[in-house]
Amino acid sequence: MSDFSSSVKLKYVKLGYQYLINNFLTVLLIPIIAVIVIELLRMGPEEILSILNSLHFEFLHILCSSFLIIFVSTVYFMSKPRTVYLVDYSCYKPPVTCRVPFSSFMEHSRLILKDNPKSVEFQMRILERSGLGEETCLPPAIHYIPPTPTMESARNEAQMVIFTAMEDLFKNTGLKPKDIDILIVNCSLFSPTPSLSAMIINKYKLRSNIKSYNLSGMGCSASLISVDVARDLLQVHPNSNAVIISTEIITPNYYKGNERAMLLPNCLFRMGGAAILLSNRRSDRWRAKYKLCHLVRTHRGADDKSYYCVMEQEDKNGNVGINLSKDLMTIAGEALKSNITTIGPLVLPASEQLLFLSSLIGRKIFNPKWKPYIPDFKQAFEHFCIHAGGRAVIDELQKNLQLSGEHVEASRMTLHRFGNTSSSSLWYELSYIEAQGRMKKSDRVWQIAFGSGFKCNSAVWKCNRTIKTPTDGAWSDCIERYPVFIPEVVKL
Amino acid sequence: MEEDRVRFICKRTVVSTRSMEPGRLYRFSVLDHVMEPNHIRLVYYYRSSKTREPGEITKKLRESLAYALNCYPIVTGRLVKEIDGTEEKDDVNRQWKVKSNDAGMRMVEARATGSVEEWLRSVNREEELKLVHWEDMYHLHYYWSTFCVQVTEFESGGLAIGLSCSHLLADPVCAMMFIRAWADLTLSRSMMAPPLFHPLPPRRLANHKLISNNQLLSHYIKSCSLTASPSNVTEDHMVTVTFLFPDPLIRAGENEPRISTFEILAGLFWVCVSRAKGKRNELMDMSLCLDVRKLLRLDQGYFGNCMVYHKVPYSKPVKTKDKLLFHAVQEIENITKKLDYDTVMDLIEWLSSSNNGAISNGSDLVCTNLENMSHSRPMMFEEDLVLSHLSCYVKGPVAGGGQVIVLPSLPGNGPMSRVVMVSLPQREMVKVVEDELLLSFSPVVIMENTEQI
Repeated sequence: MSDFSSSVKLKYVKLGYQYLINNFLTVLLIPIIAVIVIELLRMGPEEILSILNSLHFEFLHILCSSFLIIFVSTVYFMSKPRTVYLVDYSCYKPPVTCRVPFSSFMEHSRLILKDNPKSVEFQMRILERSGLGEETCLPPAIHYIPPTPTMESARNEAQMVIFTAMEDLFKNTGLKPKDIDILIVNCSLFSPTPSLSAMIINKYKLRSNIKSYNLSGMGCSASLISVDVARDLLQVHPNSNAVIISTEIITPNYYKGNERAMLLPNCLFRMGGAAILLSNRRSDRWRAKYKLCHLVRTHRGADDKSYYCVMEQEDKNGNVGINLSKDLMTIAGEALKSNITTIGPLVLPASEQLLFLSSLIGRKIFNPKWKPYIPDFKQAFEHFCIHAGGRAVIDELQKNLQLSGEHVEASRMTLHRFGNTSSSSLWYELSYIEAQGRMKKSDRVWQIAFGSGFKCNSAVWKCNRTIKTPTDGAWSDCIERYPVFIPEVVKL
Repeated sequence: MEEDRVRFICKRTVVSTRSMEPGRLYRFSVLDHVMEPNHIRLVYYYRSSKTREPGEITKKLRESLAYALNCYPIVTGRLVKEIDGTEEKDDVNRQWKVKSNDAGMRMVEARATGSVEEWLRSVNREEELKLVHWEDMYHLHYYWSTFCVQVTEFESGGLAIGLSCSHLLADPVCAMMFIRAWADLTLSRSMMAPPLFHPLPPRRLANHKLISNNQLLSHYIKSCSLTASPSNVTEDHMVTVTFLFPDPLIRAGENEPRISTFEILAGLFWVCVSRAKGKRNELMDMSLCLDVRKLLRLDQGYFGNCMVYHKVPYSKPVKTKDKLLFHAVQEIENITKKLDYDTVMDLIEWLSSSNNGAISNGSDLVCTNLENMSHSRPMMFEEDLVLSHLSCYVKGPVAGGGQVIVLPSLPGNGPMSRVVMVSLPQREMVKVVEDELLLSFSPVVIMENTEQI
């Protein structure tokens, strides 16, 4: 009983401390204002007038000071960075005929790798613990026995995913193709000539002075990198909009060998894509869903271990695949730490920052054995979108950031329904939160993505208007079934 | 050797669009178990009047097949030998079951040169079997798809759909119903005759006495018992010829309405094949394969084996050969009229209560009745695809030493016509096609045995 009452007391102490520090200025100003008001009331109107008359105001003074005020405010408004609004986005919903249930995946694996039963066993164990559901989809070329990843089928998949997502985006936002000013496409592992952005420009007959960019090779965090590029471009170009296409084309990357560490992506990566519309126009302020507050990119490539941990290479038989090293989780944790160090001061309330600072000083000066204080990010954000790279990533981040099950629900459910869709998974997660009706005005969302290199990128969005549950979209036909309970191991 | 007319494109798995309840086990009925070593192959030919992009119709069929499979959990499941807790038998006699694990069915895509009409004019059994993909059961049966569909597009127009399946799960009737359900779904987006999965009728009351002289039962007792020696039918070179009989009832001069076209044709071939085997005024052993869904008061949509093999007894030689056909048809009619609910239930109850192996028809001639498989509405996948021919093969010990399959009439040939597929060893077939009794029925040969160079 005493433990309970002491923990309750501690909670109130903590709450009181937070209110005090976060509203420090208010707490300081209120007594001062109170004193001034009392003093004014005490003095009476004649005394106030006489004080004012004693200050000699000449016409020139007044003119110069008003010019100064106008000049300072103009410089302030001009140098303020343009706000970037996320008007809307749409996630690609793969056709049901591309569905890959576990049994079908394992059967194909068995038929193709019939000389390597150990590799098949390995894939089965991965799939059992993966957290994926029975409705994830692979592109048509991978359904063949054996799979036939040709360039043409990869292009077909790209067209299917990208054009469908874009049509949805046009429908949702009323955007006309000719109005697109900036186009950024990110697709890490498929990079044909002409590029995917050229493919889009050709299909929709976009303007000839469009600013188009195609980012490839940047891994699963490329979506936020594209947002960063768009943001920088939107600072330079006033009154423009930017369309970002974030996808990963699975067809050409099916690993045909039997090296275990390289079979992992076959089990987890699935078809998916998203199209996002960003804008810096004042007129979009009212209809935009989110506002971009911060975007922090951290690159750990300077460290060799981080650089080599996700490596595309050939195995001993010449099959190309992506090799994931065993210390992926540790490296991810370190990358996250360095990202947090940068983003923490930007988003955390003053109370948390003070605690963190004092704990840091205390560890450096007084006693290095003190436990490092992990700032409570739940105070800074209402929603979290953690890249659904795999169950292990989500578990690790949940532990590191001390998040509850509800905070990581969006990530887990996206992994279950769509699998690891690489860079677009953040958008599926955001869409899940909206579909559940949890997104209210002024809610802050933190998107965290990891990528090869090793990178950790995060973006902070603020919800601009309460979002009604959408009637169409990637989650519309299955959201009633979610959240589902995902067992530790699904027996196959 | 002429170049292969059929070009294999790819093989893949089609899964249902909705995920199936995992882990459910379906048991087979006793009629299913006796059919285990056999398999069925069907080929449907469609003429088309519209030109299409190559691959377009295949894609559409693949998608509608995915939707059709939502109603067929047994087709998308896999064979296992597990216990589901309700078995009285011990472990030694574990029987096959289907585990519905959502694994889908195989689909093979192919292209063929020429058009469907040209193909039908010059094809023979070996070539036709190229339109149906079949794989024998793998060593690891859990990864083996029991059903396999092949869609072959003809470059100059037309389509062939081949379905092969293990006889353990389906008989030709429900295999055809499966294709019909798929066709309905593709054309009109709704399935008119969804399949029903349920056990056979239960045991009757205990005081029912076995019918004396139940010939159906005795045939099964003789050929199903585990101690019966395996039939030593040598793998003679089998050839298949398909005949179209425009109006067999009229040719036979039968005025009695009770006799069905099947009975006439079965009798006809019984006589001709016996003669080809060298029997004078005598008839060889024959079994009739009959659908008993109606007899057992089951719906046409019952999915599973529901066809029984009834040996037709032959008592004594006939004096003149003119009367032979009449006599043969009489014997067949006796059998079909006498077959009733209790006879079949005796068989089912006997099969449930004893350990038995698969049925084998030795070297008998087997006549299968599928003539009632046509419906008032045609079976189409698209508006312009017209069914122009249907072939059916059954392979395995149940096929005996020769097969006569009577198929329904096809559009454009009149309702009283029938298509008959006859599979016999080569030397017998040569004699049968020249038999004068057969020729008196004026059959048109649709598919013949062309010599392979």
